[in-house]
Amino acid sequence: MTEERIEFCYHYTLGPEWQQQIVAGIGATLKDNKILTMPGNIADGGSIFLEVNPGLSVLLLDMTFKVPVAITRIPTDHNYYMVYFDIGDEITTHIIGNTVHKAGYHAKLGMGFMDCSMQGVIMPPIGKRSYSLRLLIQKGYLKELAASTRDLETNNLLFDESKNTLLFYSHIDSRSKILLSQLKENDFTSPSFELKLKSTASYLLGYLMERASRFEPIINKLSNQDIERIFLTSEYLMENLLSEFPGLQKMADMAEMSVSKYKILFKKILKDSPNQFFLNEKLLLAQQLLSSGNFSSVQEVAYELGYSSPNYFTKVYKNMFQVLPGDILEKQNSKP
Amino acid sequence: MKEVIHQYGVELDWVAGLAAGIGGYVEGNYIRIADEAQQGNRYVLQINDQLTAFIIDVTYRQDVVYKLRNTRNDFVGLYFNLSEGDSIHILNEVTRSFGKWGYNLGIFDASLNGDFQVKSGSTTYMIAIFIKKSALKQYLLKIPEHHQIVESVFNSELNTIVRFDRMSNHAWWLMNELRKAPPSGPLYDVYITGTVYGLIADYLDQIINQEIIIEQVFPEDVGHIISSQAYLSAHIENAFPGIHFLAGEANMSETKYKKLFKKINGITPHGFFQSNKLSYAKEMLETGQFTIGEIADKFGFFDSTHLIEQFKNTYGVPPKEYLSQL
Repeated sequence: MTEERIEFCYHYTLGPEWQQQIVAGIGATLKDNKILTMPGNIADGGSIFLEVNPGLSVLLLDMTFKVPVAITRIPTDHNYYMVYFDIGDEITTHIIGNTVHKAGYHAKLGMGFMDCSMQGVIMPPIGKRSYSLRLLIQKGYLKELAASTRDLETNNLLFDESKNTLLFYSHIDSRSKILLSQLKENDFTSPSFELKLKSTASYLLGYLMERASRFEPIINKLSNQDIERIFLTSEYLMENLLSEFPGLQKMADMAEMSVSKYKILFKKILKDSPNQFFLNEKLLLAQQLLSSGNFSSVQEVAYELGYSSPNYFTKVYKNMFQVLPGDILEKQNSKP
Repeated sequence: MKEVIHQYGVELDWVAGLAAGIGGYVEGNYIRIADEAQQGNRYVLQINDQLTAFIIDVTYRQDVVYKLRNTRNDFVGLYFNLSEGDSIHILNEVTRSFGKWGYNLGIFDASLNGDFQVKSGSTTYMIAIFIKKSALKQYLLKIPEHHQIVESVFNSELNTIVRFDRMSNHAWWLMNELRKAPPSGPLYDVYITGTVYGLIADYLDQIINQEIIIEQVFPEDVGHIISSQAYLSAHIENAFPGIHFLAGEANMSETKYKKLFKKINGITPHGFFQSNKLSYAKEMLETGQFTIGEIADKFGFFDSTHLIEQFKNTYGVPPKEYLSQL
């Protein structure tokens, strides 16, 4: 049986005005101009929106959908960037352009940074809690913050929209992950919640700036097609972690780009070379498999992940996590 | 002893006066001082029209007494103080030792005159938050149990807002996190904002659980518990000394000790000890200079597996993953 998907379009604003679209569009209720409660037939839960300072707003969503929906954030010419942090219990399907890619614990690319002029579609899973946080950052403010971490010339280039597109996808960094899981333990209605949310939003912004200052600046204007094609290949890699790296030529062909362009754009968006990205994802998956209790030897895990030499697997794993895969397995399997 | 008479407020018209009082000058958000005798960082940030933060991170080479004589009384000061060395707060001729091991959180109505004495050789690390009474009232009104009493709390004829307290572990963590941020530029303001909101939130949480303790506990008992906490923090690298020993040191029965500790700190002595151990371990890990094994050894974890397990339970990620994604 296929249920019809409810489709809905909206866009954010730095102020609280955008929430009226959710009220008018799907019948959510709005309290104090900051707490949205979803209509019971569509989802349980809701969201809370706060202005932290004139350049920074934060939105926290905690919802469990009951029916299939497709929520489209339509491109606007508003003056802000959006950062999302997804720490839901289950994979949420994001679509940018026409590319489906997953965010959340399992796929583990829980963080994205984009310009509000980019369209995004979200199709949340049914019956699973989606918990995510978004920062909306005014462009001028972000540029000013970034200027304090880089030389002025590079910074001006990075923020020159005729020459460069700011966009990246990644894992949530550890410090942010801890803050988010602490926030998740609190109830929206607790007296100190709004203060905690403002505190968390400020820290997330600080951590984001520190992290972004370590990225190699790659100045490139991205077309929507470029972005879609890069996501198509990163998605392909994440879905084929059990096989070998397909090779740059094949990946570039898939993206319909030259190898050199492909390498640059992949690194710009995903902050690693395709090969390194693939290896990291593979090893993160290895970590999950080792502690899943479904494997009794390192050899099995190595073969499962497509390594022909368990010794080589042990070596690269140790390199990344500084522990031997055997130790993880032993610890897991000795649990009662 | 150098004497500085000054005032505070949400509005920033006091900054120039304080700067002049300590023999310095204002430069942007900083109060700069040429005097070698009190080097460090003093930074003021007005977060919004209800809220201002003043961060002081200074090492003193002379004795100073600060005499707070406010001319406004529309705000309350929250003083989160992690000073090391001798610093004393004098209020109504009662002296209290202030800082890392004494009371480290003071809440004072602007109408109270207090003297703050700092001895040469001590290091003051303090975040003072000035918050308009009207805004604080709004926060307190969010606590359902306080609805009845909020009006009288802010009625100056019935009540003066004053409290000496211990900050929570989380507040301590927030202050440390801020101290790690480079104290300049717009990013510093972002971290200050995050810290200030976090500290107020944390204090609200504390108030919710607190009232009962204040009613039923004798001041000397609170003192014993605080000394006990200081003992645990000072011996963080050893094994947990056990309730029997701690209760004996605090002159209480084990039952009473456990109960009071939990009431005052919201956490058991062992929980307090372990979570402090992990905070220190995490900081050591962040330096990138030690292996898990070394850290486990330093803080007396059974072995690295034990540390990894505890770390994961507390922070949600294993230490190596934490480090690789920092």
